[in-house]
Amino acid sequence: MIYAEHLRKEFKKTVKSPGLKGSFKALFRPKKEIVVAAEDISFHVPEGEILGFIGPNGAGKSTVIKMLTGILTPTSGFCRINGKIPQNDRKKYVREIGAVFGQRTQLWWDLPLQETYLVLKEIYEVDDDRFQKRMAFLNEVLELESFIKSPVRTLSLGQRMRADIAASMLHSPKVLFLDEPTIGLDVVVKDNIRQAIMKINKEEKTTVILTTHDISDIELLCDRIVMIDKGKNVYDGSLRELRENFGQSRELIFETDPSATLTTDQFRNGLNLKGNDLVIEREKNTFKVRFNSAKIPVGKMLSYTLSLTKVKDISVKDADIEEIIRNLYRQGEFMDE
Amino acid sequence: MRRIWKIYRLLAAQNLKRLMEYRADFLTGAVSFLIDQAVGIAFIFIIFTQIPQLAGFTFEQVLFIYGFSQIPKGLDHLLSDNLWCVGYFIVRKGDFDKYLIRPINPLFHVIAETFQIDAMGELIVGIGLLIYASPNAGLHISVWTVLLSIIAVPFAALIYTSLKIMTAALAFWIKSSGFIIQMVYGMNEFAKYPTTIYSLPVRILVTYIIPFAFTGYYLSLYLLTGSDPWFSIGGVILVSCVLFAISLFVWKKGISAYESAGA
Repeated sequence: MIYAEHLRKEFKKTVKSPGLKGSFKALFRPKKEIVVAAEDISFHVPEGEILGFIGPNGAGKSTVIKMLTGILTPTSGFCRINGKIPQNDRKKYVREIGAVFGQRTQLWWDLPLQETYLVLKEIYEVDDDRFQKRMAFLNEVLELESFIKSPVRTLSLGQRMRADIAASMLHSPKVLFLDEPTIGLDVVVKDNIRQAIMKINKEEKTTVILTTHDISDIELLCDRIVMIDKGKNVYDGSLRELRENFGQSRELIFETDPSATLTTDQFRNGLNLKGNDLVIEREKNTFKVRFNSAKIPVGKMLSYTLSLTKVKDISVKDADIEEIIRNLYRQGEFMDE
Repeated sequence: MRRIWKIYRLLAAQNLKRLMEYRADFLTGAVSFLIDQAVGIAFIFIIFTQIPQLAGFTFEQVLFIYGFSQIPKGLDHLLSDNLWCVGYFIVRKGDFDKYLIRPINPLFHVIAETFQIDAMGELIVGIGLLIYASPNAGLHISVWTVLLSIIAVPFAALIYTSLKIMTAALAFWIKSSGFIIQMVYGMNEFAKYPTTIYSLPVRILVTYIIPFAFTGYYLSLYLLTGSDPWFSIGGVILVSCVLFAISLFVWKKGISAYESAGA
């Protein structure tokens, strides 16, 4: 469905002096610097999959999404989506896709939302019958009813995002690109949006590429993750696999009596561990012991702690995805050096 | 085609509604426009209190040229004002993204978004001056001269639009080309008066390089003299078609050089 092959994008940054004269100078004799936003990105997404496309800020996620949507022309490499190369057959291609850029609305600022959808209906040539059904569906999952008559500029961020997502789904696209669709939203709106994505994916087999910094988006929605960093692929696989390979960080939480003291040094010396393999945080009567379960089994850690102090309560926390990603990055940086 | 028209109508209607909403903005625009026009016309009055003819043209004839030049200018202003925004900020801010992910021509989409009612000022002043000056301007009125002149008007407007497309498209490379549009567009001031009053370099500039002379002086010449339609009317049509073709080429190249902006 979606093939990205060795996508590379360089930007020429023009260094120019200010003003009209500067613009002219830059026009005729530009001083240029080359910035590589995406160095070599490849992946493949089968039909009907929800792919989590993740990476730290500045990794090149948006650049790749913009190449896939045909906004940017790759410097080298190519992408083929639905059998089409976005840059070559733009008008036909964009009919089959929907895109939301969370940071920037695509709606008309001064138009009431309802009229926006009417314009989009004409642009995408959605017939009346399908339009009615579609709006009913989008209304139901995204709850647009309460603000559909308001001009876009008066919408709250959550409303605007729901409106944008509805706009991207109006013409039943085969592929949906969502660049940070949940950024800055509260839990209820996030949940709304996730429901809409899931429903449309299940009912219409829409392929979705989603970038996000919100781990629950990935946990709840994504079948697979592609992670990139500094313009290169870092990981490609399931979340479960990622957890297994990099999720060896565990957290034990002990509740003790107030007099107890457990220090990081004490544990590091006693168990012969170093650096990030063991960290202890104290919060009143609770101690959080975070450690690498590859270096020391959970059972041993438990019995060691129990031998040091009296414990009232114990809980064990599994590695969360943020920690996994942090570990992966740490390893990546380590490999670079 | 019907779809294009429908989209255009929907967007233009929205523009008019917005106008009602931002009334202060509209009024300020109208007043500053009136001052601008008043200065231009007063200038002609003052000149003619001193001299009986200007480069062989009478007062009425000069007013006729001035008035005629405002019509294509107003038409372009009415329809393609959003190109200024492309040059000034749409590209620079990365807002051009949305035009590229919709299944209609991005240039049409940009242009359709704005229906600039301010332009009514130019059209009203232009038509008003034509009505005022025509009886005494010694026009060569026949079916041909009138018909050809009317046909030439949209082409003259296309000269404006093409120059704006071209200069706005430079923003795809240099991010902001508002100053350049302004500079080139500003040359249209020369189109209001008989080109023969200028020195040779200026005449060459506004005829062959930034051909605004075709949108005013040369355009009215056929009605004023009744001769040489190949140059005045044919020239307007040829120049506008060539410029439009070049501007589409530059625009298209520009789109593939578009770099968006960081999210």
